[in-house]
Amino acid sequence: MKKIIQFVLQNRFLMVVLGILILGAGYLSYKKLPIDAFPDVSPVVVQVFTVSEGYSPEEIEKYVTFPVEAAMSGLPKLKLVRSTSNFGLSIVNLYFEDNTDIYFARQIVGERLKEASEQIPEGFGTPQMGPITSGMGLIMYYYLDDSTGKYSLTELRSIQDWLIRYPLQTVPGVTEVLGIGGWVKQYQTVLDPNALIRYNLSVNEVLDRIRSNNLNVGAQYIVKNGEQFTIRSVGLTSKIDDIKNIVVKAVDGIPIYLNQVAEIKVGGAVRYGTATRNGTGEVVVGQIVKLFGANSSQVIRDIENKLDQINEMLPEGVTIHAYYEQKTLVEAAVKTVTNALEEAIFLVILILIIFLGAFRPSLVVAISIPFSVLFAIIGMKFLGISANLMSFGGLAIAIGMMVDGSVVIVENVDRMLHSADTSESRIQIVLRATVEVLRPIIFAVLIIIVVFVPLFTLEGVAGKTFRPLAYTISLAMAGSLLFAVFLAPVLAYFFMRRPKKAKLKDGEHQIWILRIMLKIYNPIVTYFVKKRYAAVVLATLLLILGGLIYPRLGSEFTPRLMEGTIVVRLTLAPSISLDEGTRITDIVEKRLMQIPEIKEVVSRIGRGEVGSDAEPINVVESIVQLIPSSEWTSAKTQVGLEDVIREKLSDVPGIAVNITQPIQLRVDELLSGVRAQIAIKLFGDDLDILKKKSDEIMRVIEQVPGAADVQVNQIGGAPQLLIKVNRHKIARYGINIEDVQDVIKTAIGGSEAGQFFEGVKRFDIFVRFAKQFRSTPDQIKNVLVKAPNGILVPLSQLASVREIVGPRQITREYSQRFITIQTNVVGTDVGTFVKKGQQAIKNKVNLPAGYYVEWGGQFKLQQAANSRLAVVMPITLFIIFILLFSNFNSFKNALLIFLNVPMALIGGIVALWLAGLNLSVPASVGFIALFGIALLNGIVLVTYFNQLIKEGYSIDEASIQGASMRLRPVLMTAFAAALGMIPLLFSTGIGSEVQKPLATVVVGGLFTSTILTLLVLPALYKWFAIKPQESEL
Amino acid sequence: MKKSNLIYLTVGIVLGGLLVFLIMNGSGTVNIDEPIVAKSVKNSELKNQKEIVKISPEVIKEFGVVVAEAKPGKIELHLDLTGEVVPNPYKIAHIIPRFGGIVKKIYKKIGDNVKAGEVIATIESNESLVEYKVKSSIKGTILELHMTPGELIGDRIHAVKIADLNSVWAELNIYQKDLLKINIGEKVLVSSPGSNYKFEGRIFYVSPTVNEITRTSIARVNLGNVRGFWKPGLFITGRVQIKEIKVPVAVPKTAIATMDEQPVVFVQTDKGFIPQPVKTGYTNDKYVQIISGLKAGQKYVAENGFVIKSEIEKSTFADED
Repeated sequence: MKKIIQFVLQNRFLMVVLGILILGAGYLSYKKLPIDAFPDVSPVVVQVFTVSEGYSPEEIEKYVTFPVEAAMSGLPKLKLVRSTSNFGLSIVNLYFEDNTDIYFARQIVGERLKEASEQIPEGFGTPQMGPITSGMGLIMYYYLDDSTGKYSLTELRSIQDWLIRYPLQTVPGVTEVLGIGGWVKQYQTVLDPNALIRYNLSVNEVLDRIRSNNLNVGAQYIVKNGEQFTIRSVGLTSKIDDIKNIVVKAVDGIPIYLNQVAEIKVGGAVRYGTATRNGTGEVVVGQIVKLFGANSSQVIRDIENKLDQINEMLPEGVTIHAYYEQKTLVEAAVKTVTNALEEAIFLVILILIIFLGAFRPSLVVAISIPFSVLFAIIGMKFLGISANLMSFGGLAIAIGMMVDGSVVIVENVDRMLHSADTSESRIQIVLRATVEVLRPIIFAVLIIIVVFVPLFTLEGVAGKTFRPLAYTISLAMAGSLLFAVFLAPVLAYFFMRRPKKAKLKDGEHQIWILRIMLKIYNPIVTYFVKKRYAAVVLATLLLILGGLIYPRLGSEFTPRLMEGTIVVRLTLAPSISLDEGTRITDIVEKRLMQIPEIKEVVSRIGRGEVGSDAEPINVVESIVQLIPSSEWTSAKTQVGLEDVIREKLSDVPGIAVNITQPIQLRVDELLSGVRAQIAIKLFGDDLDILKKKSDEIMRVIEQVPGAADVQVNQIGGAPQLLIKVNRHKIARYGINIEDVQDVIKTAIGGSEAGQFFEGVKRFDIFVRFAKQFRSTPDQIKNVLVKAPNGILVPLSQLASVREIVGPRQITREYSQRFITIQTNVVGTDVGTFVKKGQQAIKNKVNLPAGYYVEWGGQFKLQQAANSRLAVVMPITLFIIFILLFSNFNSFKNALLIFLNVPMALIGGIVALWLAGLNLSVPASVGFIALFGIALLNGIVLVTYFNQLIKEGYSIDEASIQGASMRLRPVLMTAFAAALGMIPLLFSTGIGSEVQKPLATVVVGGLFTSTILTLLVLPALYKWFAIKPQESEL
Repeated sequence: MKKSNLIYLTVGIVLGGLLVFLIMNGSGTVNIDEPIVAKSVKNSELKNQKEIVKISPEVIKEFGVVVAEAKPGKIELHLDLTGEVVPNPYKIAHIIPRFGGIVKKIYKKIGDNVKAGEVIATIESNESLVEYKVKSSIKGTILELHMTPGELIGDRIHAVKIADLNSVWAELNIYQKDLLKINIGEKVLVSSPGSNYKFEGRIFYVSPTVNEITRTSIARVNLGNVRGFWKPGLFITGRVQIKEIKVPVAVPKTAIATMDEQPVVFVQTDKGFIPQPVKTGYTNDKYVQIISGLKAGQKYVAENGFVIKSEIEKSTFADED
């Protein structure tokens, strides 16, 4: 020990240079650090989308989802495969183990995708991977504002698709730009079925004709006089008349043109969703998706620059108007933590100056703050941790702890400079003072770092949320330790001077505040040391108080991070049409706009371009932009406003309202977990049996005591018009099933017949019957099918047309269909409930072969986390105990210091209770941090007691004397740590809700544990004291 | 290790255990997926009185729910047929030269209107070497003229075809499935796609057989054609009014919803809206006859009833996400 400090002091310039290097490296790292709002808690998911226009969920599942799932089976690190087969869309979510490299995952998925594509029949689309992004990926939503009012929704959509989308996609870090709303332009060939009869044409003939009259070809080259001419033949349609004049048939030399059998016009493609705004109708919306891992703030800056350019290119009067920007959130979150950091630094320095009473020693300690922070930032850069609410929050929390090591050293140096002999050189004093306290400091800081180990082992969302915090705290503490050992003595030597006044006696202070404190403290501690039982009673009383309050605390999951933007998610009836959905949304938006705090509402109905969002038509997501919170009148908080919205929409018939936030929503979707405590999944093949049995299970579970909100997830409710071709009937006409289905597909659904080029823009040429011939079941029954002998037969003579109710979507896990029955548990413990429920299902529900039940839900996650902590916490405590033991070489001392832990707990619990907060993960993190600080103080004190004993003091003397001598450092570290948290405690900014419980626990806990350290510990020391000879090392 | 140390160790472990217990209870909850919507008690209420929906008058208005009173009505049933215009075969004259000979002179062109007895051409007979006149036997329009001056023409040749196009026929194809619905005497509105011309006539003939190849039968309607719009060969559609039925209760089609694969009408009562299963009868593209389930005078939802249906079904989809 001594040698190290000697070395340090001898090479003090080297140390300073190294220190400056670290500061510089830290600053550079800080500049390059990616900035996010929150840590990204999304799992590693690769999404595979397959768009199969017009197919029902059953077909999608059979022809698309299954081959994709089958191809993916057995991929390394694949944890779970979950799929949804929707109307026209198959989504397969492949969940990989945490920490799997996303590019690795995508690569192996990509390889298997080829296999899958081969298994998917033609016409069902090609499976594609979703964007390389995560739940934090949607960084900007915008709509096109047309102030002139002369652009149609189709034109605006073309502007989005061709003028905005492509330039934006070139911005580094943007992985996709998705459009929704308006109409995708199409050149529509609207067939008149009667005209087809008139000219004896079939739909397919028309389709083929269009395809064969819209081509360019190349024909190599010819040589002419030594020059080479490339030959090309141009036959692409270049204007709408070219399409009109395609000859579909010629009879006796008389051509029949396409426009004789069809109307050719520009129209909008079939769509599965749209967007509306403020209850004033439809808008065209774009969503910018960020690449996984890209630096949000950088990408946002680049996008903004690009948007400025694009805005200039856009037609007069059309502008891009952002209605959701993650930037706002990032800025707010950064502001919250930087404010907290700044205020904490200020408060801590204030404490230093007050307690040290001089500028110079305060400066030495204060420098440890930037050093530790920048050291942590270097570590973050290496570990790839972004600057965000949690990681910087960790730094803010650690501010008070960072100074502890240096405080103890500097305080000791200061004290010794005041009391030491003038004969002793300054460097000698610094050396002596440092060495005296170095060992306990190293152990104390190590203990603080070790205390955070359990956080590193948390998995899933909690792990991803709090690991950055644990990292930065540990890193900052490591930095502060380095500072304390290598720089604090050097800087102390450089900056600190002997007092000019005559030296004071031990235990006397020149600082008035400490003189007063000592005057009060000394008699009290003497009283407690003399009457130890009073101390025991005090401690016991506190313990009882904590024990009484503890059961009163509620427990909750991690508090919600407030994002400052509200998403109102509406679920409409599953059978709803897009038009009706739009109508309802419009009314809902009008209502929302009546709330004065709401500035703007933009809603997305269903889905647009496939990528990250793939909601069915009956789901509406309204992004609600709020005016600045200072102007709110209806409610003070976001939660309050959410209640206002809920109230406002409570009597809207036929919709379910769910209020969430943009990032929260995306993350929830990706996690796709069931929100109830318990989810019973019934796996099996037949949808009808699944439905029936799940209803049975629901009834059984409702009977189990403690069941609440029992529900079966609906999978049905989507009406279908089922056209079933009768094989006997088609046989009479010699028609193939395929012939009938081709007509059904093209006539009713429409088919693409090539593309129309407008410069680089390309639009589909789409062939379909005119609306009045395919809109009702009766009209569909009358669609004519051409038999091989040329005669035309109405569809209803070949097939039955029936209205049925089909599945809305089919969900599968591990390639097995399932239905979820979910329930919460009230008034009983979850474990018992599960046991009883399982028994009840076993006894009362008769499941056919191949059907089985799986229990899951949040209780599983809870159990997993509990069992993990149950292993990790004792190990951690054991390690701490070992550390304490190896520091003091005494079980008794170690145990005495351990007593700080329950005392700290009490304060934390009481503080939570007083603040009306619940036990939650951040509160637990607070407890963990608290133990570290509490132990540190104990170590400082007990070390000094031991030293005094060695010097020959009696135990009582040592206790009183030691406690008085160490009053300053103990109070300083406690105050520094507590005041460091104060800004977090009173912050109301974005993200403060997560750190509030943490800060509450630490501040409260420090209060009680400091009382213990200062009053009870000296009193109890007698029983735990070492004998002088024991302390000999 | 001393005995006392062992005791301390034990105490330490016990304390540690206490600590673990406390922390676990604090941090055992690791999810932020807590549903934000307070689980509404409303849902369970709905289940109990599932079938009644109460909505305030303002909301009814806001959501465009239209309430009407059930009334008797007329339902016109019709069927759309396609076909073409053909000349009336009773008003066609095929003129054949009486004697073979050389065509001397032609007075008319294709498309000319002629009166009965009007001379069309003169032919010099091979037998008598005398010129005779070829006259129109009817009033009409010349459709075909197979003669040129100087041509030697036989006596069995269709030389001229004249048709009176003031009255033509609409020939409509009847598909097998509709055979029984079409009867003589039924009103037909004939129209030509792409034009505004319409003609209302009655079916005077339904062919007693079905074409062996196309398996269609034919219905005919006389078309007055004074203006000459209905040109033979023109493609037409005919809307056959099969029946016009007076029914005690007719509702617009928009009033019918399907619940549990059954047609229902939402009836307004004092308690609220109730989905009333109904039996439907005659239907056309606008109206439906209600045979049972809804009486005249009852108030029902005529438009935007989907809002009511959604509200009833809400409990089944409300909390699935």
